[in-house]
Amino acid sequence: MTEQPEAAKSAELPQEIPLGPYGQFLKDLGIGSTRLPDSVGTAGKVETIEIDGMDLHQAMKSVRGSETRMDFLLMVSGVETNDTWDSVYHLWSYEDSTKELVVKVRVPKASVAEGKLPAVPSITPFWPAANWHEREEYDLLGIKYFGHPYLRRLMNPWDWEGHPLRKDYKQPVDALNDKNPHSMR
Amino acid sequence: MATENLPETAPQLPSFVRSTQYAEDAQLKTDEMIINMGPQHPATHGVLRLLLTLDGEIVRHTEPVVGHLHRAQEWQAQNRTWYQYQALIDRVDYLSGMFTSWALARTCEELDGLKIPKRAEYLRVIMSEMNRITSHLLWLGTYLIDLGAMFGFPFYPFRDREKLLDLLEAVSGQRMMFNYIRIGGVQSNPPLGWFDKLKEFVDTFPSCIDDYEAIVTENPIFLKRTKGVGVMSKELAMSYGVTGPCLRASGVPFDLRKDRPYSVYPEIDFKVISLTGQGDDTWARYICRVAELRESNEIIRQCIEKIPGGTTEELRKKREECKACGKADCANCGGDLAIMVKKQNSGIRIKAGEGFVPVESPRGVLGTYITSNGTDKAARIAWRNPSFSNLSVLPELLVGAPIADIMSVFGSIDVILPDVDR
Repeated sequence: MTEQPEAAKSAELPQEIPLGPYGQFLKDLGIGSTRLPDSVGTAGKVETIEIDGMDLHQAMKSVRGSETRMDFLLMVSGVETNDTWDSVYHLWSYEDSTKELVVKVRVPKASVAEGKLPAVPSITPFWPAANWHEREEYDLLGIKYFGHPYLRRLMNPWDWEGHPLRKDYKQPVDALNDKNPHSMR
Repeated sequence: MATENLPETAPQLPSFVRSTQYAEDAQLKTDEMIINMGPQHPATHGVLRLLLTLDGEIVRHTEPVVGHLHRAQEWQAQNRTWYQYQALIDRVDYLSGMFTSWALARTCEELDGLKIPKRAEYLRVIMSEMNRITSHLLWLGTYLIDLGAMFGFPFYPFRDREKLLDLLEAVSGQRMMFNYIRIGGVQSNPPLGWFDKLKEFVDTFPSCIDDYEAIVTENPIFLKRTKGVGVMSKELAMSYGVTGPCLRASGVPFDLRKDRPYSVYPEIDFKVISLTGQGDDTWARYICRVAELRESNEIIRQCIEKIPGGTTEELRKKREECKACGKADCANCGGDLAIMVKKQNSGIRIKAGEGFVPVESPRGVLGTYITSNGTDKAARIAWRNPSFSNLSVLPELLVGAPIADIMSVFGSIDVILPDVDR
């Protein structure tokens, strides 16, 4: 844990990375994006871009369209970093095996009010592949995908308290916990 | 109620027969009923609960309730070292443990920039294709049980699967939770005499597949239960992120081994099985999997011929002749013949960065999205499981299907519930 802030700082130092092909494609459509350090994929380095949450619908629809054909949404995953909540989208193309793109929506922790959940727009209404992935991330990390038609817990029971993958998660004292004096065990 | 559309003379049916087809034709409305199916249903091969909204016998809406087998694999990844976590991940998909190990190992190796010795890569391909055969054989047996073929047939796939499991046990020590593919290579060389037994299996296995096909493929009962049932169009499959045999049976020739070749697959000659115009139904998925059995068998046959160093006996002999000269490019004891590029211990660290490098498992694209901060534990591991995405399409396939077809459709997707729930 002690090494992490230094690594994060050094990664953030180069502020201006020139736009990649997908960043340029979105810029031509009037959608702003920031290029992040490349991640690793099947074809070596993969372009990784950050998009503002409000532009997500437009960006995903454009990238999925007939020009770039990024029509394969592999997964939606949530990541908790030291100061942001990230929603990460991995995109491939079914036809062109060289295409790969990682899209991130980052919600700064400072912008989330106490007791509220970070909010990211849901892409389920036009892309059903995201449906269960978004429900899972809501369940485990507490990222609220607004606009989702059925945002309920997927892995945990419906009455579970808290979001287990968070760093500040406290395990509830329940019937199976030895610390509970009323435990059945 | 549109009474004018009712037929003038209703067909004479005995009063106890409630024909769904008749109700459909006559546009009779019956009360919708919500029925719970599972979580402990014998045909779900795990614990899946389906909340069915039924109109008579017709399914109008399905809500799968998953998570009964949730073991918090992702939480465990953040609280265990890489070395400890490796032993756990075979449990993610217990029928294809080689692939889950490989998915983690491959992403870590790409992040670390490790180059794996060729012999280790060939051993990985051999083991994982064997595992693919065992997985498909188990699916074949249990699917026929789901369809009602309780006696006789299911023993044949299980008999042949047992031979492969014995071989896998001989090399890794376990029948299903292999923990054989490690970060940086594989666990061990196969024992003496192992390759001969594998060759024997590879030579006899095609005739076994002929037997299965003779019994099942053209069987009238099987055709009635599967033809035209659970039709998944290409567009539907692609919008839900479906991969693997389910996608290829719908006419999309997407196979990671060919499309984004990894390991030594470019050196091997094999076909991608993709069926166009075969109905995109459960029968097509069956055909696709059986054809993949043959392809996997061919891949193993080629790998046995091409593996650097040959069989374990040949390798041992060559090393004795060469007296372990220690040269890196030596054809008898060089680096290509090693099985591990980096000695593993509990202090293994992965370079900081993030990556997602999947493999093609028997069910589709399986991979881990790893965020590493350079320590001995992962900052975050998110799994992309093929069963998870494939199962999410089930409610679409069941709309309008009779209740008897639920297990026919569900079985044909080949879902492993621990793979869904993690």
